[in-house]
Amino acid sequence: MLFPNGQFSSCIKPLLNLKPPQISTQTGNPYDQSHYNYSEKMSSLILKRSCNNKSLHNSFLRINLFTRTLFSLSEPHFHDSPIPVNNQQVPASSYAFLENKNNGFCSYFHGNWKVPIPYDCNFVRFLSSQAAVEASTSDGLTVEGIIANKWVIHDENESDWRSHAAAIAQSIHLIKKRLRWKKLIPRLKILSEELDKPDLWDDPARAGKISREHGSIMGKMKEVNAFEQELIEHIDMIKLAREENDSELESESLKALLALRRNIKEKELEALLAGEQDSCSCFIEVQAGAGGTESMDWASMVMQMYKRWAENRGFGVTVVDEMPGDIAGIKRATIKVDGEFAFGYAKAEVGAHRLVRISPLDSNKRRHTSFASVAVIPILGEGFSHVQINESDLRIERFRAGGAGGQHVNTTESAVRITHIPTGVTASCQNERSQNQNKMSAMAVLQSRLDQLEIERQARINAEHTQSLTDINFGSQIRSYVLHPYRMVKDHRTDYEVSDPDSVLQGDLDGFILSFLSASLDKNEEDDGI
Amino acid sequence: MKSSCFTRASLSSILQPVFSPRLKPSRPIICSAVPPKPQTALYLRPPAFRSTLSELRKWYAWAKNQASSVGSTFLDLDNGPDSTLLHRELKWLVEDALERPDMLSPLNSGDNYDDATPVSMRACLDDLYKLWKQRIEERRPFQYVVGCEHWRDLILSVEEGVLIPRPETEIIVDLVDDAVKENEELRNGLWADLGTGSGALAIGVARILGLGCGRVVATDLSPVAVAVASYNVQRYNLQDRVSVKLGSWFDPLKDVEGELSGLVSNPPYIPSEDINGLQAEVSKHEPRLALDGGANGMDDLINLCNGAASMLKPGGFFALETNGETQSKFLVDYMDTKMKGSFYGTNIASDFAGIQRFVTGYRA
Repeated sequence: MLFPNGQFSSCIKPLLNLKPPQISTQTGNPYDQSHYNYSEKMSSLILKRSCNNKSLHNSFLRINLFTRTLFSLSEPHFHDSPIPVNNQQVPASSYAFLENKNNGFCSYFHGNWKVPIPYDCNFVRFLSSQAAVEASTSDGLTVEGIIANKWVIHDENESDWRSHAAAIAQSIHLIKKRLRWKKLIPRLKILSEELDKPDLWDDPARAGKISREHGSIMGKMKEVNAFEQELIEHIDMIKLAREENDSELESESLKALLALRRNIKEKELEALLAGEQDSCSCFIEVQAGAGGTESMDWASMVMQMYKRWAENRGFGVTVVDEMPGDIAGIKRATIKVDGEFAFGYAKAEVGAHRLVRISPLDSNKRRHTSFASVAVIPILGEGFSHVQINESDLRIERFRAGGAGGQHVNTTESAVRITHIPTGVTASCQNERSQNQNKMSAMAVLQSRLDQLEIERQARINAEHTQSLTDINFGSQIRSYVLHPYRMVKDHRTDYEVSDPDSVLQGDLDGFILSFLSASLDKNEEDDGI
Repeated sequence: MKSSCFTRASLSSILQPVFSPRLKPSRPIICSAVPPKPQTALYLRPPAFRSTLSELRKWYAWAKNQASSVGSTFLDLDNGPDSTLLHRELKWLVEDALERPDMLSPLNSGDNYDDATPVSMRACLDDLYKLWKQRIEERRPFQYVVGCEHWRDLILSVEEGVLIPRPETEIIVDLVDDAVKENEELRNGLWADLGTGSGALAIGVARILGLGCGRVVATDLSPVAVAVASYNVQRYNLQDRVSVKLGSWFDPLKDVEGELSGLVSNPPYIPSEDINGLQAEVSKHEPRLALDGGANGMDDLINLCNGAASMLKPGGFFALETNGETQSKFLVDYMDTKMKGSFYGTNIASDFAGIQRFVTGYRA
């Protein structure tokens, strides 16, 4: 087994007639009609060539028996298999974990382990039958191979196919990493086994959850594999076009490659928001820290920042609960942020936010440091299971209960506070114009809080989800906003900084959010690599 | 500033509280005159008035300042609204009066719009000044100012002469909901809301009973209340399921004696001598007819209690709102001793403030 990749593949040539016949046909975007024509054109070109060149044919359709053998023989230990790697120099910085670890030895699988391409719905059966087929070009170039080649990545405008290919390969790698690719495969296997059980639908809620997760993972894997396949195809096309001196086809292929590069760059962002609750709407809650009026003023600035951020993003914003400060600002406030991926983005804001400034509220013009804590709670949609709340566990109070009530009092004040007695979790709302609506709004907040507690409880039980919200301590300081003596906003988790605090306080937060999301997903976690 | 105003007549009817003389509830009233025409709530009027953003901002700044200047004066004086609450009401007034309330949102305080931006409003700027002045200086209830009250999931029109439905009373609808869920037969029967006022309980109950099921008769002694309740019933398209009748308590229901499946009421229950000490919004503006329950506040509750025994059919449900613990306990005791055998399952339910507010039970 101690063969470098090239030698190994030449060893298995005699076995190649066993290959399945369907490798490069069913790929690409089904909605792109031109792509089919393009594929057809390509297939015919390849066939034409393969008639003349038997060896090309063979290597084009080669099965990666190496993978296949290892899959069947050493599945339980493949992480540990010390296999020397050819010219292992890893390019992109996101790859640092490989570089650090290598020293000439590396798990072959970190670089080259491939997932079979799932083009049928029995993907897992396919997988467990070990017919692992790796996407590779006619001359044996794989996606990992492209990365290993360290081709220089130029600007998009440069018509260099190697640059495009390298950029795409890196994006694929990044996406896999963000999706926790390596964990998806065993997870899918478990889910498929569950789906095969005859008693599955005895518990329809659970069955629905399993089949949803299964479908979602399948969808993600298919999409990534389709990207890989498409990349390989385009490269094959370009090479063939060059050999055939077909400049029209070459430029067409180059264009296709560029389109793919742009498309997949967007997918990188989407992959940042692949968490189970990320697509949900959410509540954002801001609470003033110790320090009286100064902190309350800061809390209202933070709340305002999120309102603007959410509105600029096109999310719907409603104030659910607001406790004004005695002199200025707010003691606490909760807003509801409606929109797709509101939670996925906003979860990056959880923690304590620190302000340093000369306070306008201090007649002596002293410098003050204030804190405001931010909590973000996902609003789980209908597809999720919710914590059951017993009416008898609730204590419902009029917020400013006092006086005789009833006909004695005509007040528009109809605030409601609900306490869930078993957990002590409370929620309140006074912004609506009727008590009933206040109660319903408060119940919605309470439901989401209890759901979140349950998610966190399960995350603690389930070691797989170590990277969840629980990692982020509500009280830990995540960002400083300094208005004096210098002006800067700096995130302590990512070191991302901006020298214009005003724009940040006006809601320009995306830079902070995205840098945190990518840092937390892309950090050096070998176990979560590919 | 360019703005045209409502016709004088309709404006003055919005602005001037109507004081109707107290009528003895026991005296049957036959009213054949043309029923009064209910006013249109502010939020339902067309945005027919124009002003500029800068003029509107001036008004808003003035109004906020007025609200702030109240501080806790009213609260200390008679448990009236404080600044925080008035600020919230001002926000709601803006929501009701402007076609695009977000124009005044703090988010748009910057350069998003310039001063000359035209603003469409449902009342002219002069009226907005007058309305907010009435709220602060005359303590006119906010619900009369905007002509509506948000109650449960409903928006009910209200005006002078009609009691503004209270948040506590929302719970009666929940109690009815519980009762019909326990005994689905009740859902298909005839229900009564006595002293309906704005029609809140009748509408709430009809929506709980559901489409094609039971019916509700609402009665009230006040012609204004009957007109407003009828209007609200139509607004929720319930005229086939809720009929509103003019008359004292059970008088309009003589022909259905012993046939009611359910009975709800929020009758006047405040002892006469307490009325003048109430917050100005209530004592100076709301109809005494809907508040004054006689010397100990129990006159109408006892009357309803006696009537329920003859009007409800066996198994029929009732829910009554009271002044609190003393009245509730008195009423339960009255039913269990003085009217022994007439009712069963009598119970006291609390409102969200923990006050023992409601008495429920079934006709034996």
